[in-house]
Amino acid sequence: MTSKQWLPVWLVLIGLAGCKPSYHLGQQSATRLTVDSVTAQTDPGMAAFLQPYRQKLDQTMNEVLTRSTGRIEKGQPDAPLNDLLTDALLKQATQRYGKPIDCSHLNLGGIRTNLPAGNITIGSIYEVMPFDNQLVVMTLKGDMLQQFLNHFASSNALVIGGLRTKIKDGKVQSVQFTNGRTLQPNETYTVAMSDYIADGGENVGYIKGAIRRENLNYLIRDAFIDYFRQQGKTGTPLTPVSDGRVTVE
Amino acid sequence: MDALLSNRRQFLKLLGSAAVVGATAPEVLAKAKATQITILHTNDVHSRLDPFPFDGGRNAGKGGVARRLTLIQQIRKEKPHVLLFDAGDIFQGTPYFNLYLGEPEILAMNRLGYDAGTIGNHDFDGGIDNMRTQFAKADFPFLIANYDFRNTVMDGRTKPYQVFVRGGVRIGVFGLGIEPKGLIPTDAYRETKYLDPIEIGNDMARRLRQDEKCSYVICLSHLGFKYNDATVSDNVLAAKTRHIDLIIGGHTHTFLNAPVSVNNLDGKPTLINQVGFAGIHLGQLDLTFERGKATLNDGKPVAVHG
Repeated sequence: MTSKQWLPVWLVLIGLAGCKPSYHLGQQSATRLTVDSVTAQTDPGMAAFLQPYRQKLDQTMNEVLTRSTGRIEKGQPDAPLNDLLTDALLKQATQRYGKPIDCSHLNLGGIRTNLPAGNITIGSIYEVMPFDNQLVVMTLKGDMLQQFLNHFASSNALVIGGLRTKIKDGKVQSVQFTNGRTLQPNETYTVAMSDYIADGGENVGYIKGAIRRENLNYLIRDAFIDYFRQQGKTGTPLTPVSDGRVTVE
Repeated sequence: MDALLSNRRQFLKLLGSAAVVGATAPEVLAKAKATQITILHTNDVHSRLDPFPFDGGRNAGKGGVARRLTLIQQIRKEKPHVLLFDAGDIFQGTPYFNLYLGEPEILAMNRLGYDAGTIGNHDFDGGIDNMRTQFAKADFPFLIANYDFRNTVMDGRTKPYQVFVRGGVRIGVFGLGIEPKGLIPTDAYRETKYLDPIEIGNDMARRLRQDEKCSYVICLSHLGFKYNDATVSDNVLAAKTRHIDLIIGGHTHTFLNAPVSVNNLDGKPTLINQVGFAGIHLGQLDLTFERGKATLNDGKPVAVHG
């Protein structure tokens, strides 16, 4: 048979291929593999690639700031890490601001991990607060502060320092400030928070209507590092406790 | 190796019959010439280049790019065709990012042999100029169909989709990103325009299936698995589109034991998978393709047993 005689056969085959998808899914199965020392050894080439990056990193990150007697974890509605970090923020913000601040707020989602038992290093703080968020002091009228507190209370994500409150039906009740104040709709309050929230993040766009916004030019992470370094100098390790400042009824 | 196998076996037991999905009767399968394609995927690795430290935490010792590479290389030895994808949030989460702004993350992904990735909200964290600088070091494409970067420095630096041909099988892959407003500082995403992921997703999937003749369509999504409100998620996307076979998701750090199946607008199943975060897990889907058109169950939903 010459090649010409084959031609019609080829044309038919091409025709068939053209009008039908050439492949279809027969079956599929899924597996989830865990990446750990049991499933895989460390690849030496990749480890060597990382080494110079890690070396320089370790020099910066391995400084021990303080110690903790146990792991300090975040949680809802309240937990040791929530309290520790909002207290740290309130103290550092007040120091930097030079005037009293009524309360401090942190975004629950912005606390990225927990603090370890034992040594708390600069690296630990970077992992808890990897974002370059700035510390901002907002002056709010009482009714706006109430709206703000309710906003986070409604999703059980209120992380707050400088006050105690109960959440009932997603709303804050009987707000009592540590400095003795109570929440009154027409009074004004100062709140230390992240620029991310002050910019309207987490759907609090109304906060742009605050009476005043003051940027402290102080990274929240640096505030934490300063606080923990100071704490370390006391020689007393941290103990993970929560004071139950936020409860849900 | 034994450990790997037992790990897999354990997992298969765990998912029981939930995720083994078949479109064709076994006798047809046996006759056809089959092509096997393996999809590997990660999401929300968040600069976790090293394993989690041994600090008493739940994930101590897990993850790390050096182990992930060994695992992927083992799979590449066993399987004829492997594709490796990431669903965004490569950056942010360990001091590596603060110090090096994403360079080692991207260079490690080059070494891991990623075929494509999409963009997560935290990939904007160093600003859009840094995104351009770091992504330029990638030797794999960033696929995103619903971010219009025209007025930004990222213009021309991404593709909406790409078709991968492996063993003659055409696999279409596109990417979808989350709405930046309220999530990313405006100064970081600047004039990036967010387009409706449902509309764009439908358009992409149709184009890949019909114009690009893809046998399998994958969406790399950073929309998030599921929300309590009407916010668009992978579950919403799956239900409101046609032609997407698999959504590789991210953002919500959802640990799925096995892919979830959601019926699309045609009543056909779209699988959604997401493997937590930080590279603790590697997702694997083994696909078997046969020559010709599906006959027995053609046009009917693919059964998910469970």
